[in-house]
Amino acid sequence: MIEQTLPRLPVESAPAHTIRDWKAMEKKWIPRGLPRCSPGRFYAWLAPWLLLLAIGAYAMYLCFAEGLQHTNMDNRFAFGLWIYLDLTVIALGAGAFFTGFLFYILRWKEMTAVINAAVVLGFICYSSAIAILLVDIGQPLRAWFTFWHPNVHSMLTEVTFCLSCYLTVLAIEYLPVLLKNRKLRQVPLFLVFEYELHRVMPVLAGVGTFLSFFHQGSLGGLYGVLHGRPFAFREALGIWPTTFFLFILSAAAAGPSFVLLMARLTQFLSRKQLVRAEVFAQLGKVSGTLLLFYVLLKTLDTMLWINRIYPQTGFSPYSFYAEPSFGTWVLLLEIIGLGLVPALFLVNPRMREKPWVLTLMAFLACSGVAFNRFVMTVQTLALPTLPFDRFLRYVPSWQEVAAFLAVLAYGVLLYSFSFRYATLFPQERDLRNQ
Amino acid sequence: MFPWVYEFRWTTGHLLFLGIFFSVLLTIGLTVVRAAWKTYRDFQDQKQEHLSWKADFEDLSPLARSCRHEISGKVRRRSCPNEFDCRVCANHRVTAGRLPSAGPPARRGADAGFCGLDVPLDRLYHRGHTWVKEEREGVYLIGLDDFASRLIGPPDQVDLPAPGTRLQANGKGWRMRRQSTIVRILSPLDGEVIGQGGAQQGWYLKVRADSRGNKMDHLLRGEEVRSWVLRELERLQMALATDGVGMSLADGGELVYDVTLQDPHADWDSVLGEMFLQA
Repeated sequence: MIEQTLPRLPVESAPAHTIRDWKAMEKKWIPRGLPRCSPGRFYAWLAPWLLLLAIGAYAMYLCFAEGLQHTNMDNRFAFGLWIYLDLTVIALGAGAFFTGFLFYILRWKEMTAVINAAVVLGFICYSSAIAILLVDIGQPLRAWFTFWHPNVHSMLTEVTFCLSCYLTVLAIEYLPVLLKNRKLRQVPLFLVFEYELHRVMPVLAGVGTFLSFFHQGSLGGLYGVLHGRPFAFREALGIWPTTFFLFILSAAAAGPSFVLLMARLTQFLSRKQLVRAEVFAQLGKVSGTLLLFYVLLKTLDTMLWINRIYPQTGFSPYSFYAEPSFGTWVLLLEIIGLGLVPALFLVNPRMREKPWVLTLMAFLACSGVAFNRFVMTVQTLALPTLPFDRFLRYVPSWQEVAAFLAVLAYGVLLYSFSFRYATLFPQERDLRNQ
Repeated sequence: MFPWVYEFRWTTGHLLFLGIFFSVLLTIGLTVVRAAWKTYRDFQDQKQEHLSWKADFEDLSPLARSCRHEISGKVRRRSCPNEFDCRVCANHRVTAGRLPSAGPPARRGADAGFCGLDVPLDRLYHRGHTWVKEEREGVYLIGLDDFASRLIGPPDQVDLPAPGTRLQANGKGWRMRRQSTIVRILSPLDGEVIGQGGAQQGWYLKVRADSRGNKMDHLLRGEEVRSWVLRELERLQMALATDGVGMSLADGGELVYDVTLQDPHADWDSVLGEMFLQA
């Protein structure tokens, strides 16, 4: 046994006075056993993103203070870069609900390796979407009208309600990740609350799945009900147009790919192995299977659209692809290049064993869903619908681009902080020791 | 939104949509309220120590969570599902029942040395590197084992619980600080602190065990202690392994006193956390 006197000293350490003290204090916030870069390097990484965020904040201020004339949208081209961004991040954020569904409802224990990262990514995506929507509606002080006087026949009302509720769910799901921070967990109340929240998480995962199902669907549905725009209009299954289901399926397919892609990107940037290869392969398999199913349904939907809806409008089937900007290559790229190709690679077990193939195909799958949202938003509005209409061109203003980049910067910042101070990838510690 | 709000309609669409919306809100709200209420109840029932340990246990490495019977080679592969509380473990009862009774701890003899460590078998050991020795009926001495003492070296600060403090098995026993690292030492049993010692007395705490604390099934004894010490040496090697290299074969030797001094560049904060089962 050790042989010296043991004085009782105050436990609290002295306040930091020097940079060294501050570094030591900052290290106490980083999870034990997970090495992270120096604070200087970390803040150097954050600096450009903070700058982007500041520029974007100024652009948003202009829109709030002086109105939406700072954008290049108008009454005819009412959906632009921001709505495209909203639709894309919401689709990619589906990784949170789908991973939660696999982990908490279907009890796929492997998903424990990425569930925290999926929740953080989901929270980033949905909070970004809400933030940009507040700028986009132009009258954020009246945003509550949609809740107080809901038009229950509007797909957008369903979207608004579901998005708000799901963001609340994601915030609650994000809370345990934060409360398990090394410093915060020293407060017994936080740790016990985290434990109790963790126990009710399956209920929240179920609610999240329900909400995601409807808002992903309604985002698709709102295009499908546009009778005046045959490019987007679809026939209904029940009360929902087919785009309702296609949006759900494409989001569920792209979500796991996005989680995979972000985990791989984090591995690359941090130069650490964070997740076992089997988990990546599992995510790829789920994503590939759903994507294959989606491509099948999308193809069927496109065939029906060409052969039934188009002729009913009196247009030639290919008239919407006559513009040089949006030729038939758009359709082929969306369905084959960014749909069928990644799906076939991802469902092939031998291909999934190759990390670079898995990453590339996950990237293509995510690009596919982003491209689909672009087509549904921008191409739909650009195409003429009446004989005297002309093809519309839309180029976003710098304010729109700055706000777009600010959202990206916000995501990078929040994800970077979460990666540094929370345990996003629980397997990291084990993999480090192997 | 509500019947008294302008434009509300008593139609199926309104009632269905708003009904679903309010149900979802209610579910989310009730779920959070339930978690908050359970937290309050946990504090009322003084479960916070137990739950903190549960949370820590979930974050331990798989090697640290191995079942004692796996370590001693009695079962092939098993991870502990009960946070090292073998008193509630059905597997432990079955496995221990198949084996010859461990019996009471042996008397201290000449065989206390093992791998260069002082591991007397006249006492029981906790996975958090404490030992328990009965002083008299219902009163136990608790100390830091030799492995832990050598690992921490001379502590800069020790924060022992005052007499009268209640301890819970696997809850916080006391805290020690070495340089900038604070280590929480787990209590090996349930009971009330009735005395404080120190390294110079050869023990840290004197505890009067309560009825549950008198059950010592969860503590290691006899030959399994040595298997566990071997496993701990292996875990220490692994914790000290360089990133990307992994565990390397040792070339023999013994664990020296105050290991932290021997390799000041190692991440001791992480190593001590790993060895003392602290997330």
